[in-house]
Amino acid sequence: MNDPENVKLRLNNSELWGGLIGLALGVFVVWSGLKLKLGTINDPGSGYVLFYTGILMCAFAATIIIGAITEGSPTFAARWKDARWTKPLVIIAGLTVFSLALDRLGFLLSTIPLMLLLLRAIDPVRWSLAIPIALLSPLGVWWVLKRLLLIQLPSGIFEIG
Amino acid sequence: MDTLYNVAQGLGVALLPINLLYCFIGVFIGTLVGVLPGIGPISAMSLLLPVTLSGTPESGIIMMAGIYYGSMYGGSTTAILVNIPGEAASVVTCIDGHQMAKQGRAGPALGMAALGSFIAGTFALVALMLIAPSLASVAIAFGPAEYFSLMVLGLVVLTFLTQGSMAKALLMACIGIVLGLIGLDSITAQPRLTFGRLELIDGIGLVPVVMGLFGIAEVLINTEQVIKRDVINARITQLLPSKADWKASAGPVARGTVLGFLLGILPGGGAVISSFASYALEKRLSRTPERFGHGAIEGVAGPEAANNAAAGGAFIPLMTLGIPPNVVMALLLGAFVIHGLQPGPLMITQNPGLFWGIVASMYIGNLMLLVLNLPLIGMWVQLLKLPYNVLFPLIILFTIIGVYCSSNNVFDVYVMIAFGVIGYFMRKLGYEPAPLVLAFVLGPMLENNLRKSLILSQGDLTTFVQRPISAVCLALAVALLVAPLLPALRKKREIVALDEGV
Repeated sequence: MNDPENVKLRLNNSELWGGLIGLALGVFVVWSGLKLKLGTINDPGSGYVLFYTGILMCAFAATIIIGAITEGSPTFAARWKDARWTKPLVIIAGLTVFSLALDRLGFLLSTIPLMLLLLRAIDPVRWSLAIPIALLSPLGVWWVLKRLLLIQLPSGIFEIG
Repeated sequence: MDTLYNVAQGLGVALLPINLLYCFIGVFIGTLVGVLPGIGPISAMSLLLPVTLSGTPESGIIMMAGIYYGSMYGGSTTAILVNIPGEAASVVTCIDGHQMAKQGRAGPALGMAALGSFIAGTFALVALMLIAPSLASVAIAFGPAEYFSLMVLGLVVLTFLTQGSMAKALLMACIGIVLGLIGLDSITAQPRLTFGRLELIDGIGLVPVVMGLFGIAEVLINTEQVIKRDVINARITQLLPSKADWKASAGPVARGTVLGFLLGILPGGGAVISSFASYALEKRLSRTPERFGHGAIEGVAGPEAANNAAAGGAFIPLMTLGIPPNVVMALLLGAFVIHGLQPGPLMITQNPGLFWGIVASMYIGNLMLLVLNLPLIGMWVQLLKLPYNVLFPLIILFTIIGVYCSSNNVFDVYVMIAFGVIGYFMRKLGYEPAPLVLAFVLGPMLENNLRKSLILSQGDLTTFVQRPISAVCLALAVALLVAPLLPALRKKREIVALDEGV
């Protein structure tokens, strides 16, 4: 009987993709090692260790790929089965937007909306509690760092904070 | 006599008010993260790594060490009262500890866990004081070939003990080495894998990598599941174990201490494996093994002693050889390096105040933990009720702040977020981050020692097998690499495989 959650040579074979990414990284590391010059065994160059580490990466990745094809592996859907995958997705999206905004908007203007998003996205905290926490925690941290410890935080184009 | 003099010198450092404060903060935070499931000592230490910059090296290291052994104490509280391991080393304590709590014996279980931990912690410190200086004097004779082989062994042991496929763990270790090599080549000063970015010239920082892989990724993984907690609400009384409890636990505590300490010293070993090993040993030695799993106090006393002794033993390879045996020690090494210090055979003679100060502070920390974990147990029980939907956003805020403050550079925040996302997908696909982090720390040292060995031996590869210590380490590493190919050993490896490699 075929297990629909355990597949072999299929596009949704999660191990296969993991191995392929590892293989691609390994090839890149080998190429970088060669570009940096291997030197000789008496006097190894800057790319020596990178080159051989890259070869090992390719070998381990190939083992993973072979195992994924011959023994099969869980599908992506099986890996995320019974998981609230939208929660980490929202957090990742929030963090990505935050990282793009941090330098431009500054610490306070980017962190307060991030905190509000996190407080409401994970397991919604009621608004009456979420808003004060989202406001006070970055403000408190900002005050301690900037006023007490004299650490410069990004103030962004509006120079707030 | 020398040891007594050194201990007195160490106490002089450890008893400075500022160091006492840092020690208290360390053990307090350690207990806190031990109590809170989902956040382990690695996350907490990576979070607080930047804080160590503000004080003296002694203060920073004292605090970081406190978090580690403090978490070993705290983890048992959650395991016993909620049946959720507060951190990976307390998984075994859940089995009998929670059963005892259900039978109305939460007090003796918590008391034995704390007292057993204290006894083991004290023994580990005495052994550390006696063994470390002698081992350091031997380690002075180590050349680059020995260091290279020892690091290879450490990485192989960790990958061997990591959960899941060994090929995946080895791939992670290789990626860690490559990440560690980013930046200027220490010998030729040639930039490597910097992609023309000025921020990468000095390499990727340890802080953003570990905070991403362990802090952010941990939160992402935890948010996927609804965290349900079934806290034992009954009033906890009679914390001191009875005479019968002591009689039953004396042997397990003694055996767990010795076993944990020895496993802690081994590269790649540590608190988790020692607690499992102790439980298996006690069950095998018991005349009534059927009681295990149904509230046997030996099942709490042995593993708790073992994981604390292992935490102490793990300091030996770091302090004497400069080689971290696990990820937690790799973070401590990071803290040393941040302060411009290099742990190793010369540190004990060149910086005796630092070494003995840390050792003495660990003893004081153990005493503090006894007070924190016995009379103040009620406070930690209340803390178990803290809502996670408020805690997780705060953890993310503090990781962002921690990373930014460690370098005053927004680029590091990007790196942390990127590693957080990578770490999340790695875990989902069964790739453990522990080998990556250890290899990331060891990578530059590994490369340096390999190249030095080859230059010194004029390209003669047999130098690694001609030197006895190096040959033994490499032989062990090869044996461990071959072991998973044998079906019987593969089965055993699956039984002892760990979660975080600590």
